[in-house]
Amino acid sequence: MPSVGTTIPHDSAVGHVTGQAFYLDDVAAMAGELHVGFVPSPIACGTLTGIDATAARATRGVVAVYTVADVPAHNVFGPLAADEPFLADQRLLYVGQPVAIVAAETREALYRGIAAVKLTCAEEPPLLSLEESIAQERYLGVERRIARGGQIDAELAKAPHRLSGTFHIGGQEQFYLESQAAIAYPGEEGQMVVHSSTQNPTEIQTVVAEMLGVGFHEVVCVTKRMGGGFGGKETQAAIPAMMAALVARKTGRAARVIFDKDTDMISTGKRHPYLVRWEVGFERDGRIHALKYDFFSNGGCSLDLSPSILERTLLHADNAYYIPHADFRGRICFTNLPSNTAFRGFGGPQAMSATENIIESIAQHLALDAYDVRRANVYGVAERNVTPYGQIVEKNHLPEIFAQLAASSQYHARRAEIARRNATDPLTLRGLALTGMKFGISFTSKFLNQGNALVNLYTDGTVQVSTGGTEMGQGLNTKIRQLVADEFGLDPARVRLMPTSTEKNNNTSPTAASASTDLNGAAAVRACQQIKRRLKKFAAERLSDKAEGLTPSPRHVVFAENAVYDSRRPELRIAFGPLCDEARRERVDLGARGFFATPGVDFNRDTGRGTPFFYYTQGAAAVEVAIDRFTGELTIPRADLLIDIGRSINPGVDRGQIIGGFIQGMGWVTAEALTYNAKGALLSHSPTTYKIPAVTDVPLDFRLALFDYNDNVQNIRRSKAVGEPPLMLGIAAWAAVKNALSYASAEAATFLSLPATGEEILRCLTTVAAGQPVHSFKGGTP
Amino acid sequence: MRDHLLLFINGQRHEVRGRDAFLSLSDYLRIRCGLVGTKIVCSEGDCGACTTLIGRTAASAAEFNYKPLDSCIQFLFQLDGTHVVTVEGLRRDGTLNPVQQAMVDCHGSQCGFCTPGFVMAMTGLLEEQETVDEHQLRTGLTGNLCRCTGYTPILEAGMKCQDAEHQRLGELYPAEPMLAEFERVANDSLQLESQSFGERQIACCPVALDDALEFLAANPNATIVAGATDIGVRANKAHQLPPAILDLNRIADLEFVKAEYGELRCGARTSWTTLLAAFRQAAPEFARILQLFGAPQIRHVGTIAGNIANASPIADSLPFLFVMEATLVLASKSGRREVNINEFYHGYKKLELQPGELIVEIRIPLPSESELLRLYKVSRRRDLDISGFTAAVRMQLEGDAIKQASIAFGAVGPTVLRAKQTERFLVGEPLTLETMQTAGDIAVSEVTPIDDVRGSAEYRRQLTRNVLLKFYHQTQGNLAQV
Repeated sequence: MPSVGTTIPHDSAVGHVTGQAFYLDDVAAMAGELHVGFVPSPIACGTLTGIDATAARATRGVVAVYTVADVPAHNVFGPLAADEPFLADQRLLYVGQPVAIVAAETREALYRGIAAVKLTCAEEPPLLSLEESIAQERYLGVERRIARGGQIDAELAKAPHRLSGTFHIGGQEQFYLESQAAIAYPGEEGQMVVHSSTQNPTEIQTVVAEMLGVGFHEVVCVTKRMGGGFGGKETQAAIPAMMAALVARKTGRAARVIFDKDTDMISTGKRHPYLVRWEVGFERDGRIHALKYDFFSNGGCSLDLSPSILERTLLHADNAYYIPHADFRGRICFTNLPSNTAFRGFGGPQAMSATENIIESIAQHLALDAYDVRRANVYGVAERNVTPYGQIVEKNHLPEIFAQLAASSQYHARRAEIARRNATDPLTLRGLALTGMKFGISFTSKFLNQGNALVNLYTDGTVQVSTGGTEMGQGLNTKIRQLVADEFGLDPARVRLMPTSTEKNNNTSPTAASASTDLNGAAAVRACQQIKRRLKKFAAERLSDKAEGLTPSPRHVVFAENAVYDSRRPELRIAFGPLCDEARRERVDLGARGFFATPGVDFNRDTGRGTPFFYYTQGAAAVEVAIDRFTGELTIPRADLLIDIGRSINPGVDRGQIIGGFIQGMGWVTAEALTYNAKGALLSHSPTTYKIPAVTDVPLDFRLALFDYNDNVQNIRRSKAVGEPPLMLGIAAWAAVKNALSYASAEAATFLSLPATGEEILRCLTTVAAGQPVHSFKGGTP
Repeated sequence: MRDHLLLFINGQRHEVRGRDAFLSLSDYLRIRCGLVGTKIVCSEGDCGACTTLIGRTAASAAEFNYKPLDSCIQFLFQLDGTHVVTVEGLRRDGTLNPVQQAMVDCHGSQCGFCTPGFVMAMTGLLEEQETVDEHQLRTGLTGNLCRCTGYTPILEAGMKCQDAEHQRLGELYPAEPMLAEFERVANDSLQLESQSFGERQIACCPVALDDALEFLAANPNATIVAGATDIGVRANKAHQLPPAILDLNRIADLEFVKAEYGELRCGARTSWTTLLAAFRQAAPEFARILQLFGAPQIRHVGTIAGNIANASPIADSLPFLFVMEATLVLASKSGRREVNINEFYHGYKKLELQPGELIVEIRIPLPSESELLRLYKVSRRRDLDISGFTAAVRMQLEGDAIKQASIAFGAVGPTVLRAKQTERFLVGEPLTLETMQTAGDIAVSEVTPIDDVRGSAEYRRQLTRNVLLKFYHQTQGNLAQV
């Protein structure tokens, strides 16, 4: 029986529930292993004028203190451009920036050593806000643009209605539970093995080699699993890995870096905050004629992945809607903050929330139901189906998804009920929104759309698989286990996914862009197919029977139920274990490497046109909110999700991705507020002050349905990517708040920022009442 | 004088002395015992990844009463006479317990880092009561954060595991042999000492209150702990412990609850879990707030006196205690005295409590059915969040007029405060919207909020006004049950 399509448990589930699944800090220390930490910059902007490590070096148990002067080769790195220092070299760029590394025999000595290092700095006023950065034109990289349909201002002028505004979008901490971590083991002749909690082992291999000044072949990076990643370990696992490697090189001892949660949150990048200027022209029925966007992303102190993230913003500013005349521009702003980085959605959420904000604004302006505005604008199937960048939205199911969810969630009846209750309820204000989601699958950097996999069969008929993909909880290894098991007709228990290692899989792409099963799964299947070709040939001989006229026929060999047989005589079976054993004795190669490159994707950055995506994952969400009119506190009583993820490889895993992504998105748009002081120090640097959703924030009435349409034939086993898309279903919660506020007054809803925290909601409600008693919340429709 | 702790971990006997006695339980488990299934994320009791079960026994009881606690903010010196069960201790003969099996079956884990904590919290919940409904399950898991699953699969596992027969920890680990060992040392005086980096550390863990007061007289600057949820965080974040600690965990006399003569009297060390149960009957409105106070892991160890003596202006219990005019009983070697809680705070973290004094009892007058009482706790997140604003509004009406009014606000000044001018204005006025608007104007002039990570001053001023209006809307037209 095939495994694909069944809900087998996560391949580490038993380890998880028993505490036997190991994470980096659970690995027993090697003899002499050192604890490594760092001295952070106390200021956001200025010059480092001195480091006095005398007292630190004299602290009992402190083995070494290293600064930029101790870095053997390269100190400046970056995935797209080398602009971010590993250790601060004179210029201090953000609070928490690593300045010096301390290595100690014990944790206590490490804390004391770090505290004993004295830094002297010449402090300068930091640049912290997007507004200041824009005013000073402190941009990183170049302006990016996607446009079509003529001169935008002229097109805007043609529309009968126009609205414009500025929309503020907050950042978001990844809040993976396992903080950044690395252990480095020094090897012979300058070699180094780094175990890293990273989504990107090849990057770790590369930066460690470059920092040490050795060839890539001298460094191996191993990743067994991460305790969550969400994008935060796509590039930013590099600094802790380099710290461990530097200490291991200098001391010849194993070195362990485990960030605590506060250090992690203070010193690493997050989802980019955005400032969005927009202007839209639209028809009387709400149909958008022209849309002009200027996106400003807060990049922090260096580029990191910001250009790619901004690119994805521009590629998702249409969201689910056809925009005939579009001019989307984007800039990355420098600020004195840790370099902002990847986070599930990768620039998509900011663009899509900005557009859903516009849709709600159009609806309020025209006194239409926002659903009708969405239906008027949604991408068509045969027409109105080309994106502003020129890709056709093929196999578009958005109209059906909207209709199906509106019906199943009883959207219209509930909107009427909400209007009625809002007119009379003095305590609670309710709102409901149904938003769409279309997310492009593939890296927009073409070269990253590749994967390789190594499949090894053993003579008992068991299989080890290694791919460049990393396991961070998303179930990648479970899905590949199922794909490989089905290729050989095996029980999935006979297939084991091995730790990701750059010595087995080279030049890997980061586990990102939702595409890891697509890439690595397809590569693993291709490896299996090579082995199967050899085994079929071998088995065909064994299964043939010349006396019966059954000639050897590889194409009739079937792999099923832990055995092989000839489909012309299925009763004769060879068990898979003995088959492998015999094949080896006959010198058949039982290992293979598979390679997969996504066909057909390309995008021209200079013209802003192309087909960047292999396909789209689509869905919609209907979310109801209830607001305390006096405190602004928000509850979400009901959410309905509908999403097309193709033919699911593992519905249990995918359901977890959808629900988890939605709740993460809901947290971003309603509760997760990053707060800094005037000097650029993060104040919300632990779960005490940074509030991700808790179990009681999950809607009591929570309904998830998968859209029943399996036409994604181009992808592995007709599946679709599921990692990032559901996060953007959470935007419906924000839109529902905006809808709720519109019942208080049009003004209340106009200036709602994201996230819609209780404080933000109360600010909007109070703005309504400015000049009049605050209590006079009026019911009724806008 | 005993110089070491005696405790059991997964049925194994441990004697702990010296430096180790001052470690957090999670460090002891992970570093000393190699029990690395207990995970560390926040080191401050706000995520539950380190949840372990701690069995304590009441005097003369033959069984342990297991509660889930955050092991990152429990010190070893608090754990004499306990049995600690970790995630490694749940499995016997290679079989998963029903919670573990259901978590596997329901896809309750993704990255797995929070999973041991959830398994322990759920096992603890089912240890306390054999079945829970979904509401109880949710409120029982507010102390555990998960970033991957969106919780739904975990909740499904929590419901599903109840179909299987739950093997109670008492069956897995018979209590008698452990209790017999504890019995022999139950009345020992216990003092722990350590030297580290040239600094001496002591913790005194007396059995008798008089011994505690004796120690306090000799060490007037000693830090007094019971739950230690606050100094546990400070130890983890600032990497230091106070040099002298008085631990109250062995003093049975400090843990009691009695409702009599219209008041509730409780011992200083009474946990919020115990008080939550008591107030469900005695003052449901306060119980509603206590349900949002911390999380089960915190309420199991956090005590009423700790919340009072920690003197935070955002302490969740204080507005209620202020408007109810609670009395604190303070004891020292030279005797006892009583102080109204409204007189207890002199400024930010400045207390009426003198060196050598200990809070031993709290007496809380209970609201009568004829009065109006509403409590407010506003936070970024409903559960497991420190308040950005708190308030208590208590009124007695006579006809339409307000006969008596008590109003307390928290998080709008250096201490929780009574809005005395507002109260004076309200007496004699009719309870109308207009009255409450004017009251709001006065109240805003009485508060001095600041901007901080939990909210802006402006937000807090607005909340100060708005809760008075909300009180009106919540109570108008009927004398709602308190």
